[in-house]
Amino acid sequence: MSPRNRWLSGFAVVIYAFLFAPIVVLIVFSFNDSRRTFVWRGFTLNWYPTLFENAGLIDALRTTLVVAAVAVVVSTILGSLLGLGLARLRFRGRGATETLLLLPMVTPEILMGISLLIFFFQLFGAIGSIGQISLAHITFCISYVAVTVRARAAGMDPKLEEAARDLGASAWGAFRYVTIPMILPAIVAGAMLAFALSFDDLVVTQFNYGVGSETLPIFIYSSIKFGVSPQINAISTIIVAVVSIALLVAWRLGAFRQERPSLAVEDAPAT
Amino acid sequence: MTADPEPPLAVHRSWRNRISARLGAVLLVAPGVIWLIVFFLVPLGIIFVVSLGTKDAAGHVVLDRLGLQNYAQATRPEYLPAFANSLRYALITTILSIGLGYPIAYWISRYGGQRKILLLILVMLPFWTSYLIRTYAWMIILRDNGVLNGILRSIGLIDEPLILLNTDLSVILGMTYGFLPFAILPLFVSIDRLDPNLVQAARDLYASGRGAFLHVTLPLTMPGVIAAALLTFIPAIGDYVTPDLLGGAQTTTAAKLIQVLFTSGRDWPYGSALGFILMIATLGGTLLALRSLRRETFA
Amino acid sequence: MTDPVARSGAPRPSGVPSPIDDLELTFYRALAMRRISRRQLLETAARVGPLAALAPILAACGASATPQPSVPASVAPSAAPASVAPASAAPTPSPTPIPSPESEVVVYNWADYIGEKTIANFTKATGIKVHYENFPDAETMLAKIRIDGKGGGYDVAYPTSVEIPSLVADGIIQPLIPALIPNATNLGAQWQNPGYDPNNAHSMPYMWWTTGFCWDGAKIKDELDSWESLWNPAYKGKLMMLDDIRETFAVAAFRLQLDPNTRSDADLDRMLALLEEQKPLVRTYTTDDIGTMNSGQTIIAHAWSGDVYQMYDDVPGIRYVIPKEGAVRGSDTMVVTSGAKHPIAANMWINYNLDAKASAANTNFIGYMGPNAAAMEFISKDILSDPTVNPDIALLDKLVELLQLGTDTDKYTQRWNALKA
Repeated sequence: MSPRNRWLSGFAVVIYAFLFAPIVVLIVFSFNDSRRTFVWRGFTLNWYPTLFENAGLIDALRTTLVVAAVAVVVSTILGSLLGLGLARLRFRGRGATETLLLLPMVTPEILMGISLLIFFFQLFGAIGSIGQISLAHITFCISYVAVTVRARAAGMDPKLEEAARDLGASAWGAFRYVTIPMILPAIVAGAMLAFALSFDDLVVTQFNYGVGSETLPIFIYSSIKFGVSPQINAISTIIVAVVSIALLVAWRLGAFRQERPSLAVEDAPAT
Repeated sequence: MTADPEPPLAVHRSWRNRISARLGAVLLVAPGVIWLIVFFLVPLGIIFVVSLGTKDAAGHVVLDRLGLQNYAQATRPEYLPAFANSLRYALITTILSIGLGYPIAYWISRYGGQRKILLLILVMLPFWTSYLIRTYAWMIILRDNGVLNGILRSIGLIDEPLILLNTDLSVILGMTYGFLPFAILPLFVSIDRLDPNLVQAARDLYASGRGAFLHVTLPLTMPGVIAAALLTFIPAIGDYVTPDLLGGAQTTTAAKLIQVLFTSGRDWPYGSALGFILMIATLGGTLLALRSLRRETFA
Repeated sequence: MTDPVARSGAPRPSGVPSPIDDLELTFYRALAMRRISRRQLLETAARVGPLAALAPILAACGASATPQPSVPASVAPSAAPASVAPASAAPTPSPTPIPSPESEVVVYNWADYIGEKTIANFTKATGIKVHYENFPDAETMLAKIRIDGKGGGYDVAYPTSVEIPSLVADGIIQPLIPALIPNATNLGAQWQNPGYDPNNAHSMPYMWWTTGFCWDGAKIKDELDSWESLWNPAYKGKLMMLDDIRETFAVAAFRLQLDPNTRSDADLDRMLALLEEQKPLVRTYTTDDIGTMNSGQTIIAHAWSGDVYQMYDDVPGIRYVIPKEGAVRGSDTMVVTSGAKHPIAANMWINYNLDAKASAANTNFIGYMGPNAAAMEFISKDILSDPTVNPDIALLDKLVELLQLGTDTDKYTQRWNALKA
């Protein structure tokens, strides 16, 4: 081990500590015996069981997850197709399409939120719902997915697909068993990005939620006025714990050890 | 992954390709484009029209006298400090994210071994808690009688608490925290693609690790650096929630002014105009960066 | 709870390395190739052009203005009586036949701005399920209930009293049904016929407060009674001001002996100059006065009286004063939206919150005083004897309410943004 390696490793430890410092604090304060998380007032386990009686919080979490699921599925499908098309096809309006993809990324969130609010109300009389939030989230997720998938698809050899067709596969078969598996990693990456964007969104959601469709970020933001309840820390702790355990299990099962995605199409039934 | 066989029927294929390109454009591109036109471009057009309008006494938007008056009004010199704050925070955050992210990405790539992916996912793990609750945790750490001051005091480094929260420092720290992972990912990719043999050759050539890094590693990973820069800069310049929660009396950003206009100010046309100005500035900066990357890459 | 795990926690092996590959390619390419020519931008703009045709239907999107005649009492009497079993404990017996209530009600209020058990007790008493929804700030609430011109789907909302005239004028809220609110007689005399809403026809007062300033008596030993203290250089960096345009300008107005509702540019320029002078001393402008004082971040703060009551636990020496130059007072109200789907239940909810014991329970939990004379005997002695939350009623008459100023609000907003920029 070279000295530089040791120095770098030390630096890495500091950066990971930086990333996890607030997580440690929020976990500690989930055991705080005070209605609000201002000052440490002693240890309690009380917030964990009572958290499940807090219907508003549970509803908000459920709404957040439903919205994220819908946003991830739809934006991943639309974004992947769009990314694939941009990478593989030459068509009129391609440049305009590229511009269209870049614009949502540089639009201030508040502008996007308000424009969707006006749009949904003026055209459909909609006043905020889980569906409306989902539509809004899909819209700002598409670009990220499309850009990710396009990069992957652009680096892929189109001859593979043609070979499959020459070997007798239908257009759909070639797409399903050759193209999709090759861009699958990018699709997964785009989906994860979309999930993170949707899960944390406050500003766009604030203008598009309505009765019964508060999301977790809205719920938390609303409770800042009179102090955030340790229940919110508790629910965050549970999420981190569950994700960590899943990661650990996946790691044990060897999920992350493979360096390169294989192109094998092991799931494909014989045609 | 097999060798591409010689096409038996070249003519047939090109015909087929033309058809499938048409069909493909419709099947692949159209749904996403239509979605973005309907749910992004049309609403954006509506809000652009709003930005040309005025409002009445009750705050309702009035569109009978469209004009550029809101844009003319937006360039008030009093607001410049907030725009300057936005730019300063975004630039410092970008530089810090890259400065901190590069060594980490390098470390994961070179020394991560089989754990590379796990280490990268760990970088993302804190982002599974809500953004607001992480920021709230930073408030607990940074405030005058907070965790950090407590530690520094107990080990005798300071007597009086350091003023950390509500300062430029806390805003930059909060933003760097928020955007660091988005710098680390593209940096990692760029570094990880580098052939270690190249670096080894460079070390033989320059005989110093530093020379090899400056003349080979850094230039070759420049696209990753610029990608990371954009990915932190674009969201940072539009951020108002972090400066609002972690900042203080002197840390107002342009996006916050816009938010005030949309909420307590009840002036949507003016708020929209300021929003478009911020958007165009961001777009301009992005395009400049794209151009510079293009030179870096192909010149 | 398991969803997020399944999605992110254990991505399939083949999926994992790629995010990285793709990110690089993505940005590399995006950066290298995507140059948007001016012509392309113009094309995009041209496509936006035809949308101008939408202008007429956009005519008033900011907030409502859809002339929505409020459909008030029509719902009430027509509803068939009886049939709903559990609604036994409805409001006090009354000669008028009481229409049967809906099975639920959607209430839109600040988070935690209500007694701990109030919602559960209301459901127990009436069988009506409460959807208690919260907003992060008053402006968000107003935007939501104004968006469709009839309440945005919420049944009961809690605007400040000064909003009532414009909410009535715009048809956002409907008249209350007096037969369903017998507890209105519990209101103190000064709340029976307020100027903003004659005879409480459209609103019932909920809580009221004053806006003064508070300080940590352990850190500042002086007896403070003037707004001047908020300009004292000794408190530099330990001073908090409310992130509220009108409240903060009002402080400057009191110091300059100007009207806090002034529309004069000259007055406002003087107020702005005074606030500019104060800005270097200010640690932060925030509405989180409780958190900022409780955490010891500041030792003196512009604050709402009810919030100060919530600081006692963490800052035992907290003091509060209504400064001698004058101060702002305000009140929150309960209203029923014009589009309410559950108008009977909404009126019953308002009635329940005017019940002496329920109102006292609200006050005891949140530390804000209500307008309820009958509730006084149930309010904790600590609160009643505390001049912070319960000042001499006579004093209240000398305080000023902040009014809605229409387009002149811009004069405040622009100066506020200039101050904060």
